Amino acid sequence: MSRTNLIIAGVGGQGSVLASHLVAMAAIRDGLRARVGETFGAAMRGGAVASHVRIGKDVHAPLVTKDGADVVLALEPLEGIRNVVKFLANGGLLLTNTRAWVPTDVNTGRAEYPTIEAIKGAVEKLGGKTIAIDATSLAQQAGNVRTMNVVMLGALAGTGKLPISAKTLKQIVRENVPPKTIDANLRAFELGFRAIREGG
Amino acid sequence: MGDYLDIVENSPGKRVLLMGNEAIARGAIEAGVCVAASYPGTPASEILETLALAAPKLGFHAEWSTNEKVAFEVAAGATITGVRALTSMKNAGLNWVMDMFMTLVYGGVRGGFVIAVADDPDAHYSSNEQDTRFAAFYGEIPCLEPADQQEAKNMTRYAFELSEQLELPVLVRSVTRISHASGDVELGALQKIGRKPVFDKHWKMPYRWNVYGPPGAVEKHSWLHSQMPLAKKAVEKLPWNRLELKGKQRLGIIASGLGASYAREAVRKLGLEGKVAFLKIGTPTPLPEGMVKRMLKAVKTVFVVEEGDPLVELQVKAIAKDENRDVEVVGKLSGALAPVGEINTDIITNTLAKTAGVKLPEDRKRELARAEASKLVAPRSSTLCAGCPHLGSYWALKQALRMAGGNVWIVNGDIGCYEQGGYGLFAKTVRPSLSTESVRYPIDTPYDTLDTNYIMGGGVGLMQGEFQSGYKDGAIVAVAGDSTFFHACIPAVINAVYNKAKGLFFVLDNSWTAMTGHQPNPTTGETATGEQTKALHVEDIARACGVEFIKVVDPFDLKTTTAAIGEALKFDGFAIVVARRTCTLQLQRQKKFVGKRIIVDQSKCTSCGLCISLGCPANTYKDKKGGIEPLLCNGCGMCAQVCPTGALRMG
Ligand SMILES: Cc1ncc(C[n+]2csc(CCOP(=O)(O)OP(=O)(O)O)c2C)c(N)n1
Repeated sequence: MSRTNLIIAGVGGQGSVLASHLVAMAAIRDGLRARVGETFGAAMRGGAVASHVRIGKDVHAPLVTKDGADVVLALEPLEGIRNVVKFLANGGLLLTNTRAWVPTDVNTGRAEYPTIEAIKGAVEKLGGKTIAIDATSLAQQAGNVRTMNVVMLGALAGTGKLPISAKTLKQIVRENVPPKTIDANLRAFELGFRAIREGG
Repeated sequence: MGDYLDIVENSPGKRVLLMGNEAIARGAIEAGVCVAASYPGTPASEILETLALAAPKLGFHAEWSTNEKVAFEVAAGATITGVRALTSMKNAGLNWVMDMFMTLVYGGVRGGFVIAVADDPDAHYSSNEQDTRFAAFYGEIPCLEPADQQEAKNMTRYAFELSEQLELPVLVRSVTRISHASGDVELGALQKIGRKPVFDKHWKMPYRWNVYGPPGAVEKHSWLHSQMPLAKKAVEKLPWNRLELKGKQRLGIIASGLGASYAREAVRKLGLEGKVAFLKIGTPTPLPEGMVKRMLKAVKTVFVVEEGDPLVELQVKAIAKDENRDVEVVGKLSGALAPVGEINTDIITNTLAKTAGVKLPEDRKRELARAEASKLVAPRSSTLCAGCPHLGSYWALKQALRMAGGNVWIVNGDIGCYEQGGYGLFAKTVRPSLSTESVRYPIDTPYDTLDTNYIMGGGVGLMQGEFQSGYKDGAIVAVAGDSTFFHACIPAVINAVYNKAKGLFFVLDNSWTAMTGHQPNPTTGETATGEQTKALHVEDIARACGVEFIKVVDPFDLKTTTAAIGEALKFDGFAIVVARRTCTLQLQRQKKFVGKRIIVDQSKCTSCGLCISLGCPANTYKDKKGGIEPLLCNGCGMCAQVCPTGALRMG
C-alpha cells in the first residue's frame, strides 16, 4: 500500500485533532510524509469534527477523497457513520467507540440516534467492516476518561492497518501528552491495543 | 501540532509536522521578524499564537491588537523604521484594513512587510467566502499562494526579501485547508537580521511616509506602478512557479496554490501523468506571464484550477486574447467548476476527466447503499458548551423579552461564540415567509434567539437604524461579546448616544476572545505573550461614551440577569447590560472552575421540557424525562434554576 488514508471523527472536545497529529508525527518519525486536514473545530465543544490523515511517500492534498478512507476511526458512533457514508473505501474498516454523545437535535426530538447494529449493517452494505469497542470505559479504567482518544489509537495500532509501527506511535504518545498524564495515556494505549488483539 | 521547541530552534534540515499557520509563523521567524501584530480570526489565529510563544525567547514583539486595522498599522509603522514586520488576519479582517492597505502602498515600506491572510472558501468559519487575492491585485502588490505547509513556510520567509526588494508589502494568501491542515515541513536556518530601527522622512523619495507630501498622491501612485515590472520579473524566477511542458500535449492545467495539490492528485488518479502539461502557480498576481504564454501557445485547452474566485482564470483569458485566441479556457468562468464553495481532489478529478475525455466508473449499487446509510446520519447542530455563560444570558434575555410584552422584538446578533444564538437547529426546517406585517417566531432553544447577524460590530449599528426607521412593533436589542465590543462597537455606542437612539445593548463579557481559541483581549488583563497588563471594563468605556443606563450582572444568576434586562428594556434611552462571567471552558483549562453536582430526581419531572430549552448540551431528555450527561456536565446549576419542579437541583 503506497498511501494510507485515515479519518478520525468525533465531537469537539474528544481529542480527534490531537489523535490525528499523533498519527502524522509517528508517520514522519518512520520516514514517511504526512498530511492532516482538519475539518471544523471552533473553540466550542460539541460540534462534529473530522481530521483527515494521509500518510505515504508521496501525498499532496490534505483531504481524503470520496470512498478513499482505509479506516474511519470514530471516537463517537454517529460521527463514525457520518464519515463512513462519504469516505469509507470498499473493503475499509470502521473502528468505533460505542459511547454516544447525543446531539441536541436528538434531545429535542427532531432526529433519531442510530443503533450500533444499524451502523454495522450500513457499513457492511458499503463493503466495509466494523469493530466497536467501549473506549470510554477503557479510558476510565486507564484512570482518565480524557484518554479515550488514545485508547482508540491503541486499538488502531492493534488492527495493523497503519504503515507505522505500534512502538513508534506509542513513543509519540509518550512525548506529546501532558507530562502528568503520560502513565494514564500509555495504559489507555495498551488497553485499546489489547482490546483488538485479544478481544476482536 | 508542531512542538513549541521546533518553532524557535535553529535546526535547519529537521523535518517536523507543522500546521499551515505554524509554518507561516516559522517562515517569519526564520526571516528575523521584529514586530508581529494581529487580531484573532479563524483560520488565521495560530499564526500570531505561534509567534507570541516564540517572541519572548527570540526577543521580538508580538501582540494581539484591538482589531485588524490597528494590527496592520502597528506592523506598518515598524516597517517604516526599517525592520521586518508581519500582520496576520482572517479574510474578513482585511476588509477592516483596506483604507490603510490601499494608501500605504503609495509610499511602500522600508523593512520587509508581510500581510498573511487566511481565506475560508466554503465559509467553514466565516460569514463570507471572499477571495483576498483580489486585494493584492487591487493594491498592485505581489501575492504568494502556497500549495502546502512547506511552501507556506518558505514563501513567508521569502516574502520579506521580495518586500524589501520592491519596497512594497507582500501578501501571503492561505486558505483553511493550508492554515488548518498540517504537513511535514523541513525547517530552514534562522537568519540573523538584528537591524537598528531608523527613521528618515525623505528616504529615497521626498515625503516618503506621507501621501500628501509633495509631489503628492498621484506621483506616488505612479511610483507604485513602476514597481510592477520589477515584480513581474521576479516571479518568473521563483521555484513556486513551474512549467512542465512537453511537445504534443493538447491539454494543459494551470493550477494555483492549494489547487495545484488537488490537481496533481487528480492527474495521478486518472493516469494522465506526462499526458497533460502542468503550470504550477505560486504567484496568482502578478502571474508568471512568460510561462503562461508558453503554455497557451502549446495546447488547445487549458483547465484553470484555483481556490476562490477566478483571479488566475481572468488573467489567463486576457493573455490568451493576445497569444492564442483559439485556446479554450476551462474553469469557473466557463461553468466547468462551481463558482462557490471550495474545491477538492474529487471535484478536480471529475472536471479533469470530462475535459480530457476520460470515463469514470460508476457503481449504482454502492450509491444506493450510500443513500440508505445516509438516513442513519442524524444532524449534529453546533451548540454552546455545557455550562457556557452565554446560555444564561440567552435564557434571561428570552424571559425578559417575553415579560416586556407580546410583540415582535428584534435581536441583532454579532460575532463570537454567542453567534450560535442564530444558528438554529440543523434538524429544524424553516419555510420562507411572505407576510407584509411584522411576524413573531418562538425561541424554543437559545439557537433561535438572534434575528440578524453579519459582521463584527454590525448589530449595534443595525439596531440604531431599526430604531430611527420608527419601528414600533417591539423591543430592539443588540448583543455583542467583549472582544467584539473593543474591536468594533465603540464608535457605534457613541453614535447611539449622540443621535439619541434607544434600545438595549447586551454585552456578553466572558473576558476572552473565546470562539477563535481563547486569546486575551483588553478585558483580560494579560497580553499575547502572557504579561500582566491593565484590564479595561466595558462599563467604564460605556460610561465615558455617555451611556446613562449601565448594569453589570452574573449570567449564572438567571433571576437577577432577567430583572436587569427587564429594567433596561423599560429604560427610555440607550441602555447597556453587561453579563460578566469568565468562559467556562477557559476556567476549566486553568483548573479554576469547580461546579456542583446536579441531583436528578426523575419522579419529579413533569416533562415540561424547560431544561432542554435552555440549550445546554449536558442536559438530556430521554423518553421526555430531564436528565444530565455526567461526562459533560460542569455543574453550573443553570438548569436547576430553570427546572420548576426540583427534578434537577443543585447538590
Ligand atoms: C473582522 C473579523 N475579525 C475576526 C473575526 C473572527 N472572530 C470570530 S468571533 C470573534 C470574537 C469573539 O470574541 P467575543 O466577542 O469576546 O465573543 P466570545 O467568542 O468570547 O463569546 C472573532 C474575533 C471575524 N469574524 N471578523
